[in-house]
Amino acid sequence: MTEIKHHAYLFDATRCIDCRACMVACSVENNIEMDKTRIWVSGVGIKGEYPDLQRGTMVYHCMHCNHPDCMSACPVGAYTKAEDGPVTYDPDLCIGCRYCMNACPFGVPHFDYDKGIIDGAFIDKCTFCPQRIYNGQEPACVQTCPTDALEYGDRDELLKKAHARIASRPDHYIDHVYGENENGGTSYLIISHIPFSELGLPNLPETPVNEVSEKVMEMTIPFALGWGAVLSGVAAGVNLYNKKKEKAESTAKVEEVK
Amino acid sequence: MTKTLSRRDFLKLGGATSAALAVGSLLPPKVAQAAREAGHLNADGDGFISSMCEMCVWRCGLIAKIVDGRVVKLDGNPDHPHSRGNLCPRGQSGLMNTYDPDRVLTPLIRVGKRGEGKFRKATWEEALDLVASKMTEIKNKYGAEAMVFSSTHNLSQPLFENLLYAFGSPNYGTQRSLCFNAMIVANLMTYGMEEPARIYDDKLKYILLTGRNLLEAISTSETHDLVMAIDRGAKVVYLDPRYTKTASKATEWLPIKPGNDLAFHLALLNVIIGEKLYNRTFVEKNTIGFDELKKEVSKYTPDWASPLTGIPAETITRIAHEFADATPHALAHNGWRTSNFVNSFHTQRAITILNAIMGNWGTTITTGAGEESGALGAPSQPPYPRISALRLDGVPWKYPVVPFKIGVFQEMRDNIVSGDPYEAHGWFISRQNPVMSLPDRGKTLKAFEKLDFIVTVDISLNDTAWFSDVVLPEASYLERYDPLVPIGDKVFLRQPVIEPQGEAKSALWIYKQLGERLGLGDFFQYADEDDYLRQQLEPTGISLEEIKSKGWVELKETSHAGESSELTWNTPSGKIELYSDTLAKVGFPGVPTWEEPPQPAEGQFYLLTGKVAQSTQFGTQNNQLLHKYSDDPRLWINAKTAANLGLADDDWVEVTSSVGMIHTRLQVTQAIRPDCLYMTPGYGHLSKGLTTAFGVGAADSAVHVTFTDPISGGQALSQTFVTIKKA
Amino acid sequence: MKLNLTIQPRFRLNFSPLVWILLTLMGIAFVVAMIRYIYGIGAISDLSYSYPWGFWISFDLFTGVVISSGGFLMAGTVYILGIKEFQPLLRPSVLTAFLGYIMVTIALLVDLGHPERIWYMMIHWNGTSVLLEIGICVMSYLTVLAIEFAPVVLERFPALHKIAHLIHKFIMPFVILGVVLSTLHQSSLGSLLLIQPAKLHPLWWTPILPIMFFNSAISVGLAMIILESSLSSRYFQRGLETHLLEKLAKAIPVVLGIYLILKFGELAYAGDLGYLFTSGGFSILFWAEILIGIVTPLIWFSIKKNRQSANGLLTGAIILLVGMILNRFNVSWFGVVHPDPMFYMPTFMSNVKYIPTLPEVSISLGIFAAGILAFGLAAKYFPVFDEEHAHATGD
Ligand SMILES: Nc1nc2c(c(=O)[nH]1)N[C@H]1C(S)=C(S)[C@@H](COP(=O)(O)OP(=O)(O)OC[C@H]3O[C@@H](n4cnc5c(=O)[nH]c(N)nc54)[C@H](O)[C@@H]3O)O[C@H]1N2
Ligand SMILES: Nc1nc2c(c(=O)[nH]1)N[C@H]1C(S)=C(S)[C@@H](COP(=O)(O)OP(=O)(O)OC[C@H]3O[C@@H](n4cnc5c(=O)[nH]c(N)nc54)[C@H](O)[C@@H]3O)O[C@H]1N2
Ligand code: SF4
Ligand code: SF4
Ligand code: SF4
Ligand code: SF4
Ligand code: SF4
Ligand SMILES: [Mo]
Repeated sequence: MTEIKHHAYLFDATRCIDCRACMVACSVENNIEMDKTRIWVSGVGIKGEYPDLQRGTMVYHCMHCNHPDCMSACPVGAYTKAEDGPVTYDPDLCIGCRYCMNACPFGVPHFDYDKGIIDGAFIDKCTFCPQRIYNGQEPACVQTCPTDALEYGDRDELLKKAHARIASRPDHYIDHVYGENENGGTSYLIISHIPFSELGLPNLPETPVNEVSEKVMEMTIPFALGWGAVLSGVAAGVNLYNKKKEKAESTAKVEEVK
Repeated sequence: MTKTLSRRDFLKLGGATSAALAVGSLLPPKVAQAAREAGHLNADGDGFISSMCEMCVWRCGLIAKIVDGRVVKLDGNPDHPHSRGNLCPRGQSGLMNTYDPDRVLTPLIRVGKRGEGKFRKATWEEALDLVASKMTEIKNKYGAEAMVFSSTHNLSQPLFENLLYAFGSPNYGTQRSLCFNAMIVANLMTYGMEEPARIYDDKLKYILLTGRNLLEAISTSETHDLVMAIDRGAKVVYLDPRYTKTASKATEWLPIKPGNDLAFHLALLNVIIGEKLYNRTFVEKNTIGFDELKKEVSKYTPDWASPLTGIPAETITRIAHEFADATPHALAHNGWRTSNFVNSFHTQRAITILNAIMGNWGTTITTGAGEESGALGAPSQPPYPRISALRLDGVPWKYPVVPFKIGVFQEMRDNIVSGDPYEAHGWFISRQNPVMSLPDRGKTLKAFEKLDFIVTVDISLNDTAWFSDVVLPEASYLERYDPLVPIGDKVFLRQPVIEPQGEAKSALWIYKQLGERLGLGDFFQYADEDDYLRQQLEPTGISLEEIKSKGWVELKETSHAGESSELTWNTPSGKIELYSDTLAKVGFPGVPTWEEPPQPAEGQFYLLTGKVAQSTQFGTQNNQLLHKYSDDPRLWINAKTAANLGLADDDWVEVTSSVGMIHTRLQVTQAIRPDCLYMTPGYGHLSKGLTTAFGVGAADSAVHVTFTDPISGGQALSQTFVTIKKA
Repeated sequence: MKLNLTIQPRFRLNFSPLVWILLTLMGIAFVVAMIRYIYGIGAISDLSYSYPWGFWISFDLFTGVVISSGGFLMAGTVYILGIKEFQPLLRPSVLTAFLGYIMVTIALLVDLGHPERIWYMMIHWNGTSVLLEIGICVMSYLTVLAIEFAPVVLERFPALHKIAHLIHKFIMPFVILGVVLSTLHQSSLGSLLLIQPAKLHPLWWTPILPIMFFNSAISVGLAMIILESSLSSRYFQRGLETHLLEKLAKAIPVVLGIYLILKFGELAYAGDLGYLFTSGGFSILFWAEILIGIVTPLIWFSIKKNRQSANGLLTGAIILLVGMILNRFNVSWFGVVHPDPMFYMPTFMSNVKYIPTLPEVSISLGIFAAGILAFGLAAKYFPVFDEEHAHATGD
């Protein structure tokens, strides 16, 4: 394996047979509860009318975005983006607001709705299997995939591989690597024979989803200071004016009395 | 409700059982000790051990991760040719079969009525004595043949066979006639071998799959091969009345009319022979009977086949041309569960012959590796007693070309019911669930009713065990040693990765114990599992320690079969038999011949069966991990058909055949022929001892009608016609 | 000095049927909340993987915060702009705001997975999170409101008059801080949704969501002051400050006019006008919000007759509030398109619809009931509507 500077996955929808071995592998490796999962298979189902049919399968979990929206949104900073790719979550910080679920355009983080405060309700999502990738193993989902629909490696290498595969079979693939630029780039790259929107993937621009809100947040403190200053100024002005008016009035009164 | 392990620590379950173990056996944990010695586990009992999957018969290599003496993860073994580092969903979830809270972990003896599910726990001593005494009683009273045996393919089967042949019974039922008899017998009649191996090399250009749903009925390495071939641009033509996941990846899907694959393949042969597209040198050199074949298939033109198959004549002709153009880098795949119709044997012969006359031999098919290797030894044993009784399953007196070890299981069951030619009195079942896997479940239960004694060896209280008198708990595949198995030049070891839970024992142990109690100790001349393996390794010069530490070893010297330039075949003529004299002599057509399959009457539908990737046969539906990731089993119906019948998605319906009726829910889909229905096998369990699976779905075997292919003895699993109405 | 802390009711507030109803609602909510704490949010709500936020966020947070905006408007008007004639409206507005924010906080304590960690927001800061800003603003503003309202309570105890006086004296920085905080979080509630460009329908998603939110907070705040004054004048049999309310009402069409221009200007600028009539249910919801919340009140309050009658004021305020509350629901719930049913999920998690459950709604109702009761009690025991004191405040 080449040296991995940026851990990433490549998913090839043309190879995926919807067997769900990846889902089982992840559940076992990470000891996921029986009513949870970190991987989803979006069955595009069967399209068309007998006998002209088409079917596609999209397997996804956390995209380990280059600019993670979950991380941007989390008020207490429970998410971390490692320099080499993985986006991880720290349950010790989480307050359970579920804003990350709203923020993630892929609907990845999910919450323990079945836990009270004693059990502790947390967010769960794919961790990129650090216990494996930093010990020379592939992530559990990738390693088991019987058709190599899921592959693992360095993001640049995988991007090269993806483009090469598309170039070698232009009849077979759509000429696009989803995740190369979507949402500012993701570590989960997807190539497919059917349109990505039909695989259930959101149509995202190259700018990360959190761009606007992060810009607004940047302006918050300067704005607050400015606005506070304006209000203070107004208040002071009004006060001064009122005092003057009062004085004038009282002088007038005094004069009248005179 | 099911006992769902919804908490995070489902893997910690069985803590209770290992506590029981600690009390029960005061010996030090053997597995951990051995694994520590072999360097797999550290002092804390953590580490990795290599073994083999047995969630299905493909037997992928696996590496188990052990923490605190518990297996917490299975990964594919990259060194194993069947897994190549991958495991399918069933293999991935295998530890959940082992840690299933429903596992049977002590011998059980029935106390209630049969089928009531009331058992009491017993010691091995008591249970084995009981089984041995019952078997001896039956043997003394009615003869050894009154005891029937059945088991599905597995690594300890040689020991099971030892037991029954030494006992002296000719009655041996295997899953094979429910599965691949058509294919195996066709290959034997043509090539003299059960199943040639397929080669998916870089040059493979064309693959013709006849109902081989490789992307759902998974064999990890071959599934991988097929997907990679598609990736490289190979053309895949797939025949199946259903739009399966394989169909969705195939270049071309032909929704053929069930039972008419024979017509399609005969027409291919017609075009290829008629237009002289076959490999003349190969045919002349290596085959016999070409002229008979040519004469027979000249009748079967694409125009003739078209109305039968529902495939346009031009398509058939085109595929014949394409296949010929791609030859020899073309593969006509036999399929696996090929026993679909009474004419399936001829279909299989036609496919086999297609490969032969194109000269694909050596390019896309070759001699199968097989599981027997001369290189391995075995404990010595006396010859088996001579058996003179007829076999209940009609081999060979009714099925003359069906090999003994393959048999005709459903016929055996039928003759237990009819008592003809003689009455059976006991049934010994291992690693099999005939209550579910045989067609016509009602009839199987009738056979059970007739018997005095039924014993089942299983890991769970499967439906067959539920109706048994004694249940013997085998250690699961992660808990035991099995005999070594060679694959190509390598020998692989199944070894325990954890201590057996409860009182479960390996088959090697169980059959030896039983053999000794039956006075057949000479047939089990090994002290324990280690000793058996050592005797197997003896001639190879490989030490047991070596194979234990690695999980497999390379055989030092192997004879390479393909090395001689002259090809020979193990047929009577020594050539590939396009025309088989063996068949002709016993009154069957010597070349593939059209045999009209029965058709559903007006208002009836074909009822199809077929695997899904998330379960194996009838034995994994109780696996909570697989249950979690499986689709709801529902009856598929074509959308137009449903509309015509006024049926809607999710409706409850009643499905009726000539032998039974079931209630199930509908799944309205485009993905099936309008004249077919489909059910996922393996649901509708009767055993309440399967708490996760019980109550889920319905059993197709309750409505399957028994029809046997007269030549291969295969059960025609698609030849059941049903009516459907709203429940 | 001896503290005399006994207080006498200022109005009669009997255990009327209304009070019983309120208490019952609170009791139900309490029981439901206990179930939620023991068995989890899923036990009582329809919230799911696809719908992490539902009725509570739309009603308790989004609606609760915006209808509490009267407080900062009045504080700003009276203290900062020095328009003393609005003094009589100040205390009820500050009280409403104070109670409103307490209700918001209680609702959040039900909605948060880890309510006991709510204070983490004070120590673990993620600067890019809009929610963090809202959290900090709301908590700080609650403190400011407590300080603003404190004199009202303190005045009831002659012994504490001194402290009340001290607060009066230094009230200005707090008022300014309160206005700044309110400006921030009222608009930030809009910013909260900026991170959902892929989920919030383009009829609502715009980068100027914070401005839209701030603008509507003003119109809603004004309408709330009208509503509250009208209702409490009825309930507590006080005279209505119609002359004051008329002045407020005059400002409403201006604020709404700006909203209308911004909204349609932005839609046109973003090229989203096409969605106006082509988005099915979304279009209907959008037009309902615009017609009820903006256009009708704009016209209504432009008519002098309506501004001058008590009924006219009340009617106009109610129409505006209905429309604007619908806007908050649209933006935070109805207009959000979550990962859709196409996804295969194991059946146990395939909930892709969201219909709030009765227990879920009962929590909000209980909290709301508590708010009303608290308002009543405060009005009963403290000089909220006291003309004299009111006039004295701010000296
Ligand atoms: N996941 C999984 N994998 C397995 C197994 C398992 O249980 N689960 N079992 C293993 C075993 S024992 C076996 S035998 C193999 C079986 O492997 P396959 O032979 O591929 O298995 P099936 O799924 O039984 O049948 C394949 C297809 O045959 C179609 N069919 C039915 N009738 C006809 C017909 O008349 N003509 C044609 N052309 N098609 C027809 C069905 O619609 C079905 O899709 O799978 C092996 N692999
Ligand atoms: N309706 C229908 N019928 C079919 C088929 C179909 O597709 N549809 N397929 C046919 C085919 S292809 C086949 S191969 C047959 C298979 O038919 P069977 O062999 O009868 O069925 P399995 O479910 O494989 O039975 C295996 C049993 O072994 C048990 N077991 C698992 N592990 C162990 C172990 O380690 N030791 C022991 N002792 N037991 C163990 C399981 O609990 C299970 O009860 O069914 C055939 N019948
Ligand atoms: S996919 Fe979602 S959860 Fe994963 S990194 Fe991106 S935003 Fe975060
Ligand atoms: S739920 Fe937890 S992880 Fe998600 S945003 Fe809230 S605090 Fe952060
Ligand atoms: S990388 Fe690991 S945690 Fe993430 S989906 Fe794959 S197996 Fe699960
Ligand atoms: S394991 Fe591979 S082929 Fe199977 S569902 Fe997952 S990605 Fe697809
Ligand atoms: S194909 Fe799957 S179930 Fe069969 S042996 Fe391999 S991993 Fe196990
Ligand atoms: Mo089979």
